[in-house]
Amino acid sequence: MDVPITRFVALLKHHGIAVSPAETIDALQALALAGVDDRETVRVTLRSTLVKQCQAIAEFDRLFDLYFSLPAPSHGAAPEAPGDAAVTLLPDASGADVPAAAEGARAEIAPVEIDTDRTTRAPVTPEYEGVDLSLFGQHLLLQQRKDPGQDGYKPTFHVNARHNPGMPGGGELSLGDSGDEIDLGGAVEALLADLRALEVDEALLEQLEARLAGGLTRLPELLRRYRAREAALQHPRTAAPAPPRPRRSYRFSDHERRQMDEIIRRLGRQMRGALSYRRTANRRGRINVSRTIRGNLKYDGVPFFPVLSNQREERPRLTVICDVSLSVRTTARFMLHLVYSLQSLFSRVRSFVFVSDLAEISTEIERSSLEETIDRVFSGEIINTEENSNYGRALEIFYERYRSAATSRTTLIILGDGRGNRNPPNAWILEELRRRCKQVIWLTPESRGSWGLGASDMPTYAPICHKVEVVRNLDQLGRVAENLVRSSFANRR
Amino acid sequence: MQPERFVTSIAALQHTEHTSVFETIDQVVTLLRQQRYICDRKLATVIFLALKMNKPVLIEGPAGVGKTELAKTVARALNRSLIRLQCYEGLDEARALYEWEYGKQLLYTQILREKIGSLFAEMEDLRAAVEYLRQHEDVFFSEHFMVRRPILQAIASPEPVVLLIDEIDRAEEQFEAFLLEVLSDFQVTVPEIGTIVARHPPLVCITGNNTRELSDALKRRCLHLAIGYPDEERELEIIRLKVPELRENLARQVVSLIRRIRAMDLRKAPSISETLDWAQALVLLNADQLNRELVEETLQLILKYDRDVQQVSAQLPMLLESGNGTARLTFDNMDLREQQERYRTNERAYFSSRREE
Repeated sequence: MDVPITRFVALLKHHGIAVSPAETIDALQALALAGVDDRETVRVTLRSTLVKQCQAIAEFDRLFDLYFSLPAPSHGAAPEAPGDAAVTLLPDASGADVPAAAEGARAEIAPVEIDTDRTTRAPVTPEYEGVDLSLFGQHLLLQQRKDPGQDGYKPTFHVNARHNPGMPGGGELSLGDSGDEIDLGGAVEALLADLRALEVDEALLEQLEARLAGGLTRLPELLRRYRAREAALQHPRTAAPAPPRPRRSYRFSDHERRQMDEIIRRLGRQMRGALSYRRTANRRGRINVSRTIRGNLKYDGVPFFPVLSNQREERPRLTVICDVSLSVRTTARFMLHLVYSLQSLFSRVRSFVFVSDLAEISTEIERSSLEETIDRVFSGEIINTEENSNYGRALEIFYERYRSAATSRTTLIILGDGRGNRNPPNAWILEELRRRCKQVIWLTPESRGSWGLGASDMPTYAPICHKVEVVRNLDQLGRVAENLVRSSFANRR
Repeated sequence: MQPERFVTSIAALQHTEHTSVFETIDQVVTLLRQQRYICDRKLATVIFLALKMNKPVLIEGPAGVGKTELAKTVARALNRSLIRLQCYEGLDEARALYEWEYGKQLLYTQILREKIGSLFAEMEDLRAAVEYLRQHEDVFFSEHFMVRRPILQAIASPEPVVLLIDEIDRAEEQFEAFLLEVLSDFQVTVPEIGTIVARHPPLVCITGNNTRELSDALKRRCLHLAIGYPDEERELEIIRLKVPELRENLARQVVSLIRRIRAMDLRKAPSISETLDWAQALVLLNADQLNRELVEETLQLILKYDRDVQQVSAQLPMLLESGNGTARLTFDNMDLREQQERYRTNERAYFSSRREE
């Protein structure tokens, strides 16, 4: 049964769900234990072993339905002992009635017979049953061979061979473009002969033969459906281009989100690395008993030299001032998101947005979500975003009202292109802020070369800041954040 | 994968099978039910597999859907003791794994000083004494001087246990890294002593609230179980079981209102524990019907944020009306598939959301 499952895993990977080989092995073991006679059990088993990302569950379910969808329920009406063929031919996972032929392998391989959920499904025709079995049951019967080198029974209905030429185990049965015309009789005869050669239980074979004989009439139709399914699987959703995102929404796309998460995770790791949770020895602090005793063992345990240690130092603070005029909007959006994802690492993050007016959005973000707030900011609900940006005025407002957000522990980040539309730049405020803050970092989306062009105040602001970084895409932003983190935590040991 | 290898690994698994009473998936469901835990087959399957495959289970889901409770219940059902490790920021090996008892070591050296002195009196020279001491140095770094913390307790326990590692996302990523050895091999390496291998692999349940992404290495070693909100019937069943005093019609009203509230866009949707709290409160208040005043007074029990409370009370008349069946409203008018879709989106939104607030 590992062929259908590994194929399914390949499919998952193709659709962006990462599955490791170890997990595939787990899935096979789990299937053998949980049994494969109930479709939902199989689904849960595969999901719990293969899919570890909560976000991927929906996609997994979709693919599972598609992949294990072959024999659809509503076919035929003859209610003749549903499931009887499968039960006798395919032993259940307990291995109770294992065919004699498989005694060497003891049939630890449970049969995959996932597609027929007989308890809930309308009964299907016996012919149909037979075909179903030929596709998946045979996979299984043949997997139980002892000698993998022995290839005598190749002609199974590996119809997928044509679609996946690189796939090992593809059969000789190749189909033309119109599967209907193919004469399958010969192939089936050969298969049965091969099975006999394998000394499979005679009764079992006869049953199989009978089923197949009936099933042959249905086979072309089944094959057509099989191929339709293959086609559906081969062309993931990308085939139909997603409708363009609505212009007004400033939400992140999945791709951006993933990239963002990656950066955040990388940063998080780094910071956690820098920020060891061990207590550090310090000249002030409380007596660390275990280290004191250990250190003074040489004095017979008399604590001549007490070792003091401190809890963590206070975390640094971060204040972000973002220009949200059109020219820097994308960068501002990412910056805010990044800063808030890293929030736990700083003791206090305060954020301000401005165009000409300046407003604090920290409480706003606390109250609702960040994305919502960004949406509201950009749609002009919080400040007027239609005006021309005025850096001087914004700095003045900040200095007048929010000076307290800039202390000696604060790293101040200003994001903007410095194009104040010939308004007074008020550079003295920035100087003042530099004096008050631990660090002032200016992020601009414009490269240095273009600062001189037009009415840019960047040449005035740049020398005042501790650091000016050009940030044009997520990667650069990530790098800046990394440096920021490193410098914020550098002298903490 | 080679079929042969697969076969042997299964055989090996069957050998290591321990004395569990969970032999089939249905049995898991019934046994958990006996312990007053209502679960679906999905959940039972994962627990069943975890026991059979000796793999840890990583349980993720919104707060209050019974993740911790599940571990506790499984422990009771298996008649195993539960060892719990609550994770928090700054949790380290000394709290989670083991610690040397320096005080005790010191005390022993002091008490034994004379004995040691007399032993060394017979030594001819220093070299021999050092040699002699070296043979006995492991006396002071033996398990005797070790404080066992939860993980080591679980590994070293003579009885099979259930180890619950609660809210792992609160601990640092480094902590995850050092869990890896425990999770995949059920062993702990103590440099001074060696490797301690579990006599009985414990059933490890790890819960997470999805506040941060766990490392792939950890996830790979676990079976993954995502618990969401239960469906209507199941929730009703849970209420009947946990708050039997609540009248049937009131219970139905409670569940339907809660489900309506969950479908709203709230900061923290009420989960099962809130439903139960509320049901309990209604019993204490002797209520026989959900009406507007009553709900408004008790809304604080199910909603944890002021904004959510305001939002819900504003829509309360509508929510209640449809709940009493007089007027059919949006959520009820949606056909079943749409409802499910709505739920799924909400759940997905939960599962895909990061810490943003």
